[in-house]
Amino acid sequence: MGSFRVGFAFVVAGGIRFSLRLLGKGATALPGKVAIKIAPRFIWEMADGRDIITITGTNGKTTTTHMISEILRNSGYYVATNVSGANLASGIATTFAQERRHIKRAKRKGLKLVYVLEIDEAAFAKVAGDLSPKVCVVTNLFRDQLDRFGELLYTRDCIEKGLDLTDAKILLNADDSMIAALRKNREARTLFYGVDEQSMTQNNVTNVAMAKALPASSDAEYCLSCKRKYDYGARSFGHFGTYSCETCGDSRQNPQISVYFDPSMSSSDPGLPLTFQGKGFSVEGVLPIPGSHNIYNAVSAFAACSTFGDIVGDSDLSPEHVALALSQVQPAFGRMEKIQVGDKSFCILLVKNPVGLDRALSMVASASDAGGIYLLLNSNIADGTDVSWIWDVDFESKTLPDQLYCSGERYADMLLRLVYSGAGTDRIRYAAMPEAFKMFEDALDACAPGKCLYILPNYTSMLALREFLVRKYRLKDFWR
Amino acid sequence: MSKYSLRICHLYPDLLNLYGDRGNILAFTFRAGLRDIETEVVALSMGQPFEKDQYDIVFFGGGQDAEQNMVRRDLVSVKGPAVREAVEEGRVFLCICGGYQMMGHYYQEQNGNKIDCLGALDIYTEGKKDRFIGNTEYHCDLLVNDPVIYGFENHSGRTYLGDSVRPLAKVVSGKGNNGEDGTEGAVYKNVIASYSHGSLLPKNPELTDHILTLALGRKYGEDFVLEPADKTFEEIARKEMKSCKK
Ligand SMILES: [Zn+2]
Repeated sequence: MGSFRVGFAFVVAGGIRFSLRLLGKGATALPGKVAIKIAPRFIWEMADGRDIITITGTNGKTTTTHMISEILRNSGYYVATNVSGANLASGIATTFAQERRHIKRAKRKGLKLVYVLEIDEAAFAKVAGDLSPKVCVVTNLFRDQLDRFGELLYTRDCIEKGLDLTDAKILLNADDSMIAALRKNREARTLFYGVDEQSMTQNNVTNVAMAKALPASSDAEYCLSCKRKYDYGARSFGHFGTYSCETCGDSRQNPQISVYFDPSMSSSDPGLPLTFQGKGFSVEGVLPIPGSHNIYNAVSAFAACSTFGDIVGDSDLSPEHVALALSQVQPAFGRMEKIQVGDKSFCILLVKNPVGLDRALSMVASASDAGGIYLLLNSNIADGTDVSWIWDVDFESKTLPDQLYCSGERYADMLLRLVYSGAGTDRIRYAAMPEAFKMFEDALDACAPGKCLYILPNYTSMLALREFLVRKYRLKDFWR
Repeated sequence: MSKYSLRICHLYPDLLNLYGDRGNILAFTFRAGLRDIETEVVALSMGQPFEKDQYDIVFFGGGQDAEQNMVRRDLVSVKGPAVREAVEEGRVFLCICGGYQMMGHYYQEQNGNKIDCLGALDIYTEGKKDRFIGNTEYHCDLLVNDPVIYGFENHSGRTYLGDSVRPLAKVVSGKGNNGEDGTEGAVYKNVIASYSHGSLLPKNPELTDHILTLALGRKYGEDFVLEPADKTFEEIARKEMKSCKK
């Protein structure tokens, strides 16, 4: 710990965190905020000499961070990580404000300390340099709340700026043309991960005619440099696939680490067999958390852990071991964890943007245990005040379960979205926010034995629902 | 076989696909379907000629800056004359946000640089730094049964109307065309243009029906009457917009 200022900041932040916890409040941002205020270089000093892995990109940050953390915990590491959602500079500083505790605990248990940090894309530009991570994982670029960020290219510029402030190994998604372009001028330290071409399917649509006439909104159909429409050999979903531009010759790079699976098997049920392939290895595992988007999260987590192992020279992080540890990852609450209630269950999938909702709907549409969908939509500042994005999502081509529910402060918008999708009004039940929890109980009652009620809330509606569920079912609240 | 049908042209859906523009197409299809009117949606994108006689309704939405710049070039050089002719002969258009701006004479960037647009509508737009973002309410005299339009705006351009176009509506809340003159959108012949996302049409079924009537009247004769259709769920959404208004 370098300066007096940082030492003081550390003590104050620790004190605030302690008092907030006594008060029963989540202390995820305030201690860090104060620490940075007192010592602007707090993160830089605290991060000095630490082993750090960062995860940024628009979708899949939290799940990827969770997967990497679990793999490393399973491999002899004490993992310090920021609380999901607290992914701005303040949240990261809060994580470091507990550093002494982390070190003490790691030492007592004889574990190596590693930081696994999820970082917001805009914040990444500012904090990446202070962190000097060993490995930077970049997940993908899908449009998010545009009234907050403005433009996708701005978001990418933020990530680019952050990368240039580090000399970390960079792990890029080969199948995302916008992310893969970040390799330029960074070739020597870039590694690609992706889905094996054989495993790519077109968008999993059941009503092809409709989808053709009204394609779900895609974020990158054209080459950014020459504005020519990409040709695709195969596609996973969204703009992910083996793209190529005839004009400039830019094309999807062969990933050094790829994942293969049988595309005729459903990724909506647990346990899809995966084969991870790379230079000199081919190892088996299973997809620990259902959903085709989680295949990407899994291969990026695999790549991050084995690359980190290479860098620090840890033979415990062999491909075989990483694949095994990944297969054993348990979903987290709010991220696909199934909560059993009697002979049925419910699970929450946070959906914040068009591709997130598209993937969640697609997953539920093909899940064999789907006993209903419950959509919740709010429009507070943290959600983005504009709810028009729900119309960008292709509901039309998916065969959803018979029982459809919607609520949230903007339930009427979601209701209309469902009606216009042609769902049939007799299948839909709806309630304004004050009755949302009552309707949850009704929906769970109506769910058939052995089936799961899938809940798809956006950010603040999830916070509200989560509070209710934690109280009602005495669940451990993973956010604290 | 349905007696009536409509062909809807969706311009550049692979580039202009923001803020729920897709919902406007769904609204045409859904409310036409309630009357057993068949709809076919045709996507038209870069490099493809605009064959004006093929379409009963043309939808033109908005996108991010990079995409809009690509579209503008294609629109002016490839589709330009045909689109202008279609407008002049009274074909039905719905243009939202970026699509609205691109139908005008020019878009002037903040640095003073003027970008030529299609010139099909007598309007021009000036880019400004601060954006108009938020829920909106407008009063539209075209809609006799219920003149209130609800939307959501998100634009940095300020659009000014020339003499040959009328505003679509008066601003009740929000900013509208430019935040100065109390107007929102534009109407010229059978072109309807607006800054409203939302999506615009699903929450404004009177406007959807108005546009469908224009298109069907043009195709099947002026005396075509669009049957009334259920709007229970649209009304629920409208009621919520009304009560959440601050
Ligand atoms: Zn190119």
